[in-house]
Amino acid sequence: MKIAIPADRPDLDARVQNKLGAAPYLLVIDSDDLSFEILDSSLLASGPLAGLQALSLVLDKGATVILVGYMSPNIIGPLQKNGIEVVTSVSGSAKEAVLRYKRGGFGVAENNGHTSIPKSSINFTVRFSEAWTKTAKQYLSLVPVLTAVILLVGLFKAFLPEKLLLALFSGNLIQDTFAGALVGSLLTGNPINSYVIGETLIELGVDLFGVAAMMLTWVSVWLIQMPVEISILGLRFALIRNVAAFLVAIPSSIFVVWLYRGGM
Amino acid sequence: MSQGKANDAPRLKRSRFRAWIFPAGVAGVYLILYPIAPCRTLNGLGVAGQVLLQASLPLIISFGMMLLLNLFITPSHVSKLLGGGAGVKGIFLSAVAGILSMGPIFAWYPFLATLRKKGASDFHLANFLSHRAVKPVLLPMMIVYFGWRFSLIFTIFCIFCALVTAAIVGMLGGQR
Repeated sequence: MKIAIPADRPDLDARVQNKLGAAPYLLVIDSDDLSFEILDSSLLASGPLAGLQALSLVLDKGATVILVGYMSPNIIGPLQKNGIEVVTSVSGSAKEAVLRYKRGGFGVAENNGHTSIPKSSINFTVRFSEAWTKTAKQYLSLVPVLTAVILLVGLFKAFLPEKLLLALFSGNLIQDTFAGALVGSLLTGNPINSYVIGETLIELGVDLFGVAAMMLTWVSVWLIQMPVEISILGLRFALIRNVAAFLVAIPSSIFVVWLYRGGM
Repeated sequence: MSQGKANDAPRLKRSRFRAWIFPAGVAGVYLILYPIAPCRTLNGLGVAGQVLLQASLPLIISFGMMLLLNLFITPSHVSKLLGGGAGVKGIFLSAVAGILSMGPIFAWYPFLATLRKKGASDFHLANFLSHRAVKPVLLPMMIVYFGWRFSLIFTIFCIFCALVTAAIVGMLGGQR
């Protein structure tokens, strides 16, 4: 999670400043490892526009929380509606503020000062309606890619018969394990189907190594659904997760069968 | 502020338009395939319909959970439970959530997107996804097909694979 803090110096020992637009530096700190990005505020316009420019800058950097001395309630309201948490009356060093936030140390008192809107005072119906709208928007934004993937699954199942995939198995342990992992990555659906196909493969003479690999990747590697994973969690995440799951499945399936057969 | 909104409008329109390119492409493939193999194409559409039907309940559950997250949970809560420093509790929570999540995986992606926005780390998101491989409900069925010994070893290795995969994503993900 990224936390934005207006600061007087470009480091974590900097003091938290009162206003976003008047601080010499803006720090966008990753709360997990305390790595941070420094944004130079000297390039911002002066006057009332500076605050809005600073805000836009930190939101562009992915900040979802702002720890600051003061912010106008007129700005806090719309930010909160859009899921950005603002904590005011924050003082001390930037590092202390982030650590305190992580501990949940900013209770109602800080968020309840004269500058911010206390969450409890917002009518529940209003909050529910806002949360509903936000959730619906998040869901609707996924409709196109979900539709495409569901259509793709149908296409894949209709035009790529399972018999064709069975032809990938040759009788060689390593090749069959790899082929099993590949088949499992391509096929989708209830894992029970993988048990049925697995049993059929064994009847056709495929070794258990390939079957175990297919069953493992069936439930962990999703090539057809990857466009959705990419659009939501990013290309890097989707690639690393699927490749890692595929590569881990191959030795694991060999080990599963080895243990099953009583080891050596 | 108003100037910013005015500038954002065409960009928003473009991104909405771009989002439909992929589904339009897949629909185009259906249109091309229909005259060549009408039965299979219709069969594909039928399968897609079934998949959507199977996904409807998990989609509703996922929507409900997202609504609760947006209503009650702040980024600091999620960061504490599923952030980088959440420890064993975070690993356990994300693993159990993954094991209990039912239905097609794409039904759960929107929920994961919300969790990430609120501060969940890549490790915990990957741990959730990877632990979906562990299916205690289907264990009796697996035992019927492959026997209890294979099923037990397989299930233990599913957990092992899930943790290793999540650890790799956590190390190489680089976003959090």
